[in-house]
Order: sequence, then structure tokens, then C-alpha cells
Amino acid sequence: MFDYFLQQLIFALAIGAIYGLIALGYTMVYGVMRLINFAHGEFFMLGPYVYTFIFSGLVGLGGLAPVLDSAIAIVASFVIIGLLGVAIERFAYRPLRAYGRLAPMLSALGMSIVLQSAVRVTVGPQPVHFPAIVPSTPVAALGGMVTTVQLGILAAAVLLMVGLTLFVNGTRLGIWIRAASESWTTSSLLGIRVNRAVSLVFFIGPGLGAMAGIMYASYYGIMQPTMGSVIGLKAFTAAILGGIGSIPGAMLGGFLLGAIETFGTAFLPILSGGLIGTEYRDVFAFAVLILVLLFKPAGLLGETVSEETTVAKKDY
Amino acid sequence: MTRNRVLLSAALLLASSVLPAMADDIVLGGSAPMSGAQAEFGQSQIDGAQLYFDQLNEKGGIKGNKVVFRPLDDRADPRQGTLVAQQFCDDSAVIGVIGHMNSGVTMPALDIYSECGMPQVVPATNPELMRMGFKTVVRPVANDFVQGALPAKYVTEKLGLKTAVLVHDKTVFGQGIAGVFKDNFEAGGGKVSGTHGTNPEDVDFSALIASIKLENPDVVYMGAGMPQLALFLKQMREQGLKAQFIGPDIGFTVDFITQVGAASAEGALMTFQLPPYDSSPELKDFSERHQARFGRAPGPYASLGFANAQVMAAAVEKAEMLDREGVLAQLHGVTVDTLLGPVAFDENGENTTAPMYLYVVKDGKFELIKQ
Repeated sequence: MFDYFLQQLIFALAIGAIYGLIALGYTMVYGVMRLINFAHGEFFMLGPYVYTFIFSGLVGLGGLAPVLDSAIAIVASFVIIGLLGVAIERFAYRPLRAYGRLAPMLSALGMSIVLQSAVRVTVGPQPVHFPAIVPSTPVAALGGMVTTVQLGILAAAVLLMVGLTLFVNGTRLGIWIRAASESWTTSSLLGIRVNRAVSLVFFIGPGLGAMAGIMYASYYGIMQPTMGSVIGLKAFTAAILGGIGSIPGAMLGGFLLGAIETFGTAFLPILSGGLIGTEYRDVFAFAVLILVLLFKPAGLLGETVSEETTVAKKDY
Repeated sequence: MTRNRVLLSAALLLASSVLPAMADDIVLGGSAPMSGAQAEFGQSQIDGAQLYFDQLNEKGGIKGNKVVFRPLDDRADPRQGTLVAQQFCDDSAVIGVIGHMNSGVTMPALDIYSECGMPQVVPATNPELMRMGFKTVVRPVANDFVQGALPAKYVTEKLGLKTAVLVHDKTVFGQGIAGVFKDNFEAGGGKVSGTHGTNPEDVDFSALIASIKLENPDVVYMGAGMPQLALFLKQMREQGLKAQFIGPDIGFTVDFITQVGAASAEGALMTFQLPPYDSSPELKDFSERHQARFGRAPGPYASLGFANAQVMAAAVEKAEMLDREGVLAQLHGVTVDTLLGPVAFDENGENTTAPMYLYVVKDGKFELIKQ
């Protein structure tokens, strides 16, 4: 049974890492702008499509070593999707900033539909095979089976998360972001260019989302235009679970949601004697979310509610 | 001058769009998904039917009347399907319909067709469709009772496998066919040690597979759609679960093998309603004609489309009056030797001798298992 537990833990970590990476995008945007970016799931979906486009383009041009080709394609996907995020903020959200919270949120919903339909029309609606970046070889570890892809996902995700934490806490640009999310008005009065912080957040968030998308596609071996919808919602849940607005919260929420889902699937049928099947996994995950919100409305690591944020939350 | 030319071309355009359906032409409708994720399956059916009607017209049509085949796209969407059904019903020239491909699309449309007395040849496979009491439908293709029974019989009798785990996606199709498999597997002396439901959109089955691994079954039967069938098998092999995998017709596509990976897909069993295109001289001839007519090899359901067209044409041929009523009177009693074998219908409109075929993945290809 312990082996079984460890095996499930590995699955939980792999999917949790992906949730966490996407949740970072939701939480950073919310932190700075108090906006729920509903188009975020689509950046996740675009990641593997852009990667495939660039990778096959490179190979078509003669290409370098396969490792180098994928490395270039990965970096390029981050940059391209990041820039797309910046552009969408600039043209679809910023002009609506003066019209309350609802207008940019609706604009985000619209962007989500636009991006998804664009891929469906140009590439086609059917699921497409996505070749794994690292060959998927099973490795026996801790009494269970781990594939190299799962290990790769975990390593890459942890690396990105550590990198982001260092960036936000240790650099000048990171200070902009933290200042803007603490108080928009005060930081602009103190000479911080808040719009630059917003653009930065809209570069990093979608970029991380695209990375998660590439990991996800090489984990499961397929990509399709609708893949961002459900997982976007899950990652949003993870962000709320950890406390929306909090960067460590999003990472924690991601891993926690992955664990709840996986262990729910693994142990619910056993514990309930087959009465509750694996199809109740999502019910279980969302029930946990509701419980957390009931007892800790700001989420697990949510910001302590100060005078100013209460005011901000009221007009939302 | 230019205006005249515009008017003239407009008039020509109008005339040409009206021309194909002359007063004494026989107009037959067809509907299947021709766009969207299932377009490959749907379009192949339409192509197959078109090929037969073309052939018929070359030989002078039916009783000297040209057959006009009018295919419409239902996008595998029940809402679009009912719109298409209404459109066919409202056009009094249409005297028969071949469609729809999906059980979920066919079910709500049945009511509409029956209301306007439209003779219907159905390619969808849910057993319920023919038990709803509609008198306007026949189905030449085998239903899911046959589809679930065949692999159960094969693994218990031929392979001697004893224990099975069922996985289904909680849809009418998936749950239904898994249930049929279960009944037949147990009747053959096997034991089903567990049944697991998943959500139709799930992509991560790793936790479920790890728990199935504890039961260590001989067989895993999965009633679900694509890409879930492929994802499940891929993850199953990654975890080293070696059980015999069996899936239904939706997985009978090259995508299944590419998405799983040829090595992991090896040995997977899949049921399908049609024989391979090289299994008889008639089918070989059919593929060549298909290639010549459309410039591509026949798709998965092309031969079914052809056979369904043969059934519809036979009913029209026998009809005394070339209208819906006339065709309907002949529909149930029709007996035809189609491309896929003899067809005759029982009181429910089911084909009495509908065949089913079992395929195994071998070297990255589906290969027919001889019974």
C-alpha cells in the first residue's frame, strides 16, 4: 500500500506542477490588476501549437541538433506567447480600465473565444499528436514507476518557480511588480511606472502558461484547441485555493489541487468500498475548495486583509 | 452593358442552382459530420454513398430517373442534426434520407423524420434507436449489442482470459457498450473485478490506472471516445500494466496508433463494423473506383455509405410511386445483396445478418482477426 501511495504521489506532483505554473499567471495578474484573466487558459493551449510550429519550421529549414531545435522552440514560445499577452493587455484590457472591473473581464472572456476559435479555424479542431520532447522511458523509483517525462516536468516547473521567486523578490523589476500589487496608487505616486509592471506581469504569466502547455502536451501526447478550457478553470481554482494574489500561494494551490485530485481518484473508491467512483474526482476537488473558502476566505496563503484591500474588494 | 452582363450571369447562376433537381429527378438526402473532429468518418460515408449514386446514374438511374444526392453537414451536433432533419422534411422533393452517423444526433432527429413520413437508413449504432417504435427507419449496420459481444467471446474463448476491468466515460455510448461487454464476458465464464467511470473530457488516467494495476486484470475494456482511448492505453503501457486492451469502433483510426505510439499500441483489440478494403474482390474494386472518383483512398466508413445507398436505392426501385409514402412502403421488406453482404430487416428494422469485425494492432496497422 505504501508503494501505491508513493506511486500516486509522483502523479500528483507532476500534474500539480502544471496546475501551479498556470495558476501563477492568474494570481500575478489578479495581484497587480484585480482582474481575472479568463483568456489565460488559451495561452496554455497556444504554447504547444507555437512550439510545434517553430520546431517543425526549424527542422524543415535543415535544423541543428534536435536538442538545440527544441531548446530554441521552447524559448521562442515563451517569448512569443509572452508578447502576445502584453499585446492583448495593451489593446483589449487597458483601454477598458476606466470602466470598472466588469468590462475588462468580459473582454478577457471574449479574447478567450477569439484565440480558441482562431486555432480551431486555422489548424483544425481535432486532437493532434504531440511528440514528447524527452523520450518517455519508465524508471523504477521508490517502489513505483516514474517516466522521464514526469521527472522533466517536475524539474522544469520547480526551476521556473524558483526562478520567478528570485526574480520577484530580488530584482528591481520584481520590486515594481510587488509595489504595484501592494498599492497601485501609492506606487505610482512614488514614481513607479505601474503600466510597465502590468506589461511585465502580462509577459511572464502567459509565458509560464505556455511552458505549462508544452509540458502538458508532451506528458499526454496530444494537443487540441479546447485543452485550455477545463485546465484553465482547474488552475484558477488552484490559485484561489492558495490565495489569489499570492505567488507562493499559487504554487502551493497547484500542488495541493493535484494531490487532492489524484488521491481522490486513487483512494475514494477504496475507502468508500466502490460506492463513490473515480468520476467523483472533480466533485471532491471542488468540495475541498468550498471548505477552504468557508473557513479561510482569502485562501491558504492569501494576503492579510488590510484596510485598503478591503476597500478594493468591496467595489469589485 | 456591364449591368446586363451581371444580370445575365445572375440569371445563369440562379438557373444552374435550380437545374440539378429536375421535376422527375429522385432527390435523396444524406447527413453526417462533414466538418469538426469527426469529419473524417462522416465525409467517408457521404463519399461512399455518392459513389454508388454516380454509378447508378451512369447506368441510367432508377427507372430512367436521375438520382440526385444531397448531403448536409450535421457537425456531429444534435442541435444542427435536428435543423438538417427539418430542412429535408420541408423540401418535398426529398424522398429518403441516409443519416445520421452519431447515435446522439440521430435520436432527436428520428422524431422529426417520422413526423413527415421520411424513409430513413440509419448508420448510427446505439441499440435503443431501433427500439423506440419509429416505423420509418432501418439499420443495415450492426448495433452495439453485437459490438460488445464479439470481443468478449473472443477473449474468453480464444485467448482464455479470465478477469476484466471495465472503464467507461459515463456517456450513453460508453457506459452502454461496457455493460454489453460485461454481460457477455461473464456469460463466457469470465469475472469482472471492477467498473470505473471517468469524465468524458478526462486526459489524466494515471491514478485510476495505478489502482487498476492492484487488481491486475487480464483484460481492460474501455467504452469511451477519442482521444481518451489513446490516452488511456498510452498511460497504461507507461505504467507497465500489460493487460489486453479492447476498445470500440471510435478508436479504429490511424490517429489512435499515432497518439498511443506504435510500440505501445501493439496487440490492442478494436471492434469495427466493416471489413478491410482488401478483403474481397468487390471491396478491392470499390477502393479503386473510389480512388479514381475522388483521388483518395476510401475513408473508414466509405463502404458503409455505399451499402446504405444500395439499400435506399433498392427501396426506391421497388416503390410504386416515387414519393415518401411509396418508398416507405417498401423500406422494411427490402432484401439486397450489398457490398458488405446480404441485408434483410427484422420487425424492428435491424439487419438480421449484420456482421462485426475484430481488429488487432500489429506493426502500427490494424489487422483483421479471422474468425
